[in-house]
Amino acid sequence: MMAHRTILNIPMNRVEGDLEISVAIEDATVVDAWSSGLMYRGIENILRNRDAMDGLVITPRVCGICTTSHLTAAAMALDAVSGAAVPDNAIRMRNLALLTEQVQSDVRHAFLMFHVDFTNPAHAQAEWYAEAMHRYQPFKGKCVIETVRETGKLVEVIAIIGGQWPHSSFMVPGGLASAPSAGDLLQCEMLVRQFRGWYEKRILGCTIERWQQVQSLADLDAWLEENDRHRQSEVGFFLRIGRAVGLDRLGAGVKNFLSYGAFPLPGDTTLTPLGGHGDRLVPAGFLQGTTLLGFDQTEIREQVKYSWYEDDPGGRHPDNGLTRPYATGAEGFKYSWAKAPRYRGLPAETGPLAERLVARDPLITDLVGRLGATALTRQFARLTRPATMLPVMEQWLAETDPNGLYYRHPAELVAGEGYGLTQVPRGALGHWLRIEEGRIVNYQIITPTAWNGSPRDDHDVRGPWEEALVGTSVKDPANPVELGHVVRSFDPCLVCTVHAATGGNRNPRNTRFKV
Amino acid sequence: MPLSLFWLQGGGCSGDSMALLNLEGPNLFAQLEYIGIELLWHPSLSHGTPRQYDELLAALLAGERPLDILCLEGAVIRGPGGTGMYDTHRRRPKKDLIAALAHRARYVVAVGTCASFGGVGGDGDVEATGLQYRKRQKGGFLGADFTSGAGLPVINLPGCPCHPEIVVRMLASLEGHWALPLNEFNSPLQWYGMLVHQGCIRNEYHEYRVEETDFGRRGCLFFHLGCQGPLTHGPCNKLRWNNRNSKTSAGVPCLGCTDPEFPKQHPFFKTRNIAGIPYDLPEGVDRAHYLAYKGMAAAAAPERLLARKTRV
Ligand code: SF4
Ligand code: SF4
Repeated sequence: MMAHRTILNIPMNRVEGDLEISVAIEDATVVDAWSSGLMYRGIENILRNRDAMDGLVITPRVCGICTTSHLTAAAMALDAVSGAAVPDNAIRMRNLALLTEQVQSDVRHAFLMFHVDFTNPAHAQAEWYAEAMHRYQPFKGKCVIETVRETGKLVEVIAIIGGQWPHSSFMVPGGLASAPSAGDLLQCEMLVRQFRGWYEKRILGCTIERWQQVQSLADLDAWLEENDRHRQSEVGFFLRIGRAVGLDRLGAGVKNFLSYGAFPLPGDTTLTPLGGHGDRLVPAGFLQGTTLLGFDQTEIREQVKYSWYEDDPGGRHPDNGLTRPYATGAEGFKYSWAKAPRYRGLPAETGPLAERLVARDPLITDLVGRLGATALTRQFARLTRPATMLPVMEQWLAETDPNGLYYRHPAELVAGEGYGLTQVPRGALGHWLRIEEGRIVNYQIITPTAWNGSPRDDHDVRGPWEEALVGTSVKDPANPVELGHVVRSFDPCLVCTVHAATGGNRNPRNTRFKV
Repeated sequence: MPLSLFWLQGGGCSGDSMALLNLEGPNLFAQLEYIGIELLWHPSLSHGTPRQYDELLAALLAGERPLDILCLEGAVIRGPGGTGMYDTHRRRPKKDLIAALAHRARYVVAVGTCASFGGVGGDGDVEATGLQYRKRQKGGFLGADFTSGAGLPVINLPGCPCHPEIVVRMLASLEGHWALPLNEFNSPLQWYGMLVHQGCIRNEYHEYRVEETDFGRRGCLFFHLGCQGPLTHGPCNKLRWNNRNSKTSAGVPCLGCTDPEFPKQHPFFKTRNIAGIPYDLPEGVDRAHYLAYKGMAAAAAPERLLARKTRV
């Protein structure tokens, strides 16, 4: 039975926690996959019994890339508990800071993580390889250096508003702890403007206005043919080599897409919800295949049958979630420190692709309709998301009144329940907390990577990137670059290294899973 | 010969690495090249084939390839029950790999508060510790007597995250370009011999005890809003962050993130008080004198500060 089967264990060094992907390969094709979160940091339990506000300090430390994202969710949850009426100015500044982090992350992920796989020696024979090396070689590539420089400048926006990036705690229930001046706002405008100039020149190869006319696959192909600037831009180069590598045939996932929505609209803004539905700029929703359903957070459950926590059949809503680690971490059929979140009992993909599908973005909807939700469309949705968001950042900066209110004192945080749900760079992030006598009695966090990198659930159904890996053909088990393309299209913000086990029997899961 | 550097991540969030990427003038890669560091591996930045990574680790562990500097970011996770299985590498506790590499390296540098003192996970069920300290307690993971190949203890660069310029300047100093005396927690006095309070743009408000009870205003945050700037060692208001600002200057209380006890157990946004005066006074200050001084200072406060006319 084991004759043609190889098990690859792929430790993926992390940003949000160590992950390891294991795949079973038969006849050079992945037939099964397991995604294991390898680290437990116990953040939720650290928060218990602390002051109601302390989540604003502790939760950003969950992730050094998504620090402002956690701060946003934590502040929203506290707003909810205290019934805070956040002033419009503060809403705009919070949105601006989160968008800054998002644009930074989209671009850094692309050129420090995803596109680096194009320099893998597996592609060395390709005619575009020298160009890929020139652009993406770690520490040296032209685009790598520029990305580090430009994103470093951009996050100065968050430092101007909130003191530093990463890890400030400038959002508080009721608004902001800071009050940016007119000069501060002008400086932010210039930083965004400067970044936009670089993004247009190097990433798009055209103005954002021109890009916004691209609304379908046909438009996109015409755009690509239009001139050499488009073809040589990062988007153009990605489309050309992405197809050459076959990214459009890799990594179809679970086909359910989840967005919590993001960026509450200030009362006096001229911006309207993308896709025309919802009360936030980015709408919430659940797309089951092609059917768009409204989003209802009570439909979320976290299950732990395959996670290293005490068994709890059926799972729990995070309102009464439990985090009870089940020691050893190496034996039995449980295989991950990540829990398995499910929406209406289903695994769901989240991230820019899901978010833009839920928002009925015409280009992304057409692309997925024609090419499927693959590694190509997933990465494309991320790489081009800043083209939608940079003008939004400029607009909200222009609308902010430096003499207006940035903070309104909220009611005391004594007791109550609240949640903060938002889209962040990698997708849907949620914080749920309960406060009694001014102290936290329960705090539960579900990160985007928990959705995408989820292990199997109570019904043994695979998580999104486990599912996306199945069917991938792997040319060289010693260097399975295809798996890197698939997993990194979900932006787990991990660097992948691979360890090939010689025989399947070394994996204790074999017998359990009867592979 | 450039110094070889292996960057390892334990129980942390990568915030220190993210902060490093923000270095300016020149960028991180250029700075490393300039000071003569060869980055052998960084988990968020490197890309080698799996085989290259395995071969590199094997060569370092066997001593076939010299390792000049080991940087650890994130805590050493020892839970549950001392097994370390809450954080694994190739099915084995990551802590074993940390120990093996630390014993090969000529210099061991703890980057960030987690790696220095345990940090965020220090009070949790993960039994996190720093490399050579657990909070104020010497010993930590490697033991009080540990010295690296060059005969030094673990050099601690706390901060959550550590300021990126500290990291690079520290690395540049290693081969004796300049001497860096260390404090009692083995952190360079150059940066940890000053207080976060020094250079905060709210200093004048502090001086005259013009204190805020709520966010979004211009005064000092020490008496009511939990600011730990006068108690916390670090150069936040000297080096500034992202070349721009600092938390306290922006209006966010100092959270004490470089302190061996970060995160402290009492609330971050509330100052513990005795009779209206903070329980924890600025470093080295005597309570009776402080009371008298603050009373007089408040009485002398000029109108422009009381009316918050002076901008910050
Ligand atoms: S010290 Fe802070 S920034 Fe560094 S790894 Fe720990 S939590 Fe992250
Ligand atoms: S806000 Fe904090 S750091 Fe600034 S002057 Fe007051 S006590 Fe010092």
